[in-house]
Amino acid sequence: MSSRRQRRGRWWNGYFGAAAAVVALAGVGAVAGCRQRSAAPTNGTPSAPSTGTPELQSAGVHDLLQLVRAPGAKAVVVNVWATWCVPCREELPDLLRVERDYRARGLRLVLVSADFDTSADEARAFLSRHGVDFQTYLKSGSDMEFIDGLSLKWSGALPATFVFDGAGTLREFWEGKATYEIFAAKVQAIIDAPAAGGTRG
Amino acid sequence: MLAAAAATALEIGEAAPMSSVKMKNVDGRELSLAESAGPNGLLVVFTCNHCPWARAWEERIVALGNACRGKGIGVVAVNSNDPSEYTEDGYEPMQARAKEKGFEFPYVVDATSGVARAFGATKTPEAYLFDAHGKLVYAGAVDDNAKDPGAVKAQYLKDALDAVAGGRPVTIARTKALGCSIKFR
Repeated sequence: MSSRRQRRGRWWNGYFGAAAAVVALAGVGAVAGCRQRSAAPTNGTPSAPSTGTPELQSAGVHDLLQLVRAPGAKAVVVNVWATWCVPCREELPDLLRVERDYRARGLRLVLVSADFDTSADEARAFLSRHGVDFQTYLKSGSDMEFIDGLSLKWSGALPATFVFDGAGTLREFWEGKATYEIFAAKVQAIIDAPAAGGTRG
Repeated sequence: MLAAAAATALEIGEAAPMSSVKMKNVDGRELSLAESAGPNGLLVVFTCNHCPWARAWEERIVALGNACRGKGIGVVAVNSNDPSEYTEDGYEPMQARAKEKGFEFPYVVDATSGVARAFGATKTPEAYLFDAHGKLVYAGAVDDNAKDPGAVKAQYLKDALDAVAGGRPVTIARTKALGCSIKFR
């Protein structure tokens, strides 16, 4: 796998056309592949640490939205977190349990760290301790474009969670820590009522 | 726990809410936003000790805040966090931080987080600048780069302060940046 710097130089120099689409789909493929390899339990117990946690992939908001819109999911959760954000760290185990429990029902989880790139290894280590074995992302680009690109209602506070339906339309958004029950209910509602035509932003 | 945010954010043109509420400063005095305003305006910055984003911008906030007196703009830094969640955000650590970093403006405790709620503030750091008429003219980030002061391209808050001090309109009234959620009491 190329270094973050090489990936940024190769992919994130402003050309978000076919190259970005290829990378986004490759990222989605990596997620799907890792999910198939993962044998994490779905009985509510915490994940075991993973030795297979990929390096975080640098991604701007346009890349993330391509991941959101890539076909194959009935619901997509984008969660923005950071190692220094205690409520982010506290909710992650519940979010990961929801991912395990709902992946077979069509959930795609996109974890995006807002850490500075100098803390990417720390972010990866944290994810590894929680058994994350799928591709996750490190936010790149301007804060404002990133925030408004996900939702105009978002102030930029972390944690923030965005739930999109299978058509890539934003259906739910909130700031602050959530629980397994809240994540699961929001995801189930989207799966049960796909493409209701909610507005983005 | 969950918050829709932004929907209740203070609008450009509005006056500072809860401006007569007394808050305890690190020097032991109680003061209000109204008492802190200067002839040319008032800068309110929601910040705290623990948040890495607030810390990344801290020296810039202090430099801008310390320069405000010369511009006739009052400044208050407000900590609305519940220190039971982060002991670094307690009163004594606030006193130590203000001394260490050379704050020349008040750093006060929003004892109920009510001032933050009234402003619609949801994170730290977040700046609110009011003009000589007490109207909000700027809300948002210090600048466009938390991590690297040398790479800043847009000095949003400095530009807004200079405009207010000069009696000119603020060009960019609202910006956003990432930050730590306020730990409301």
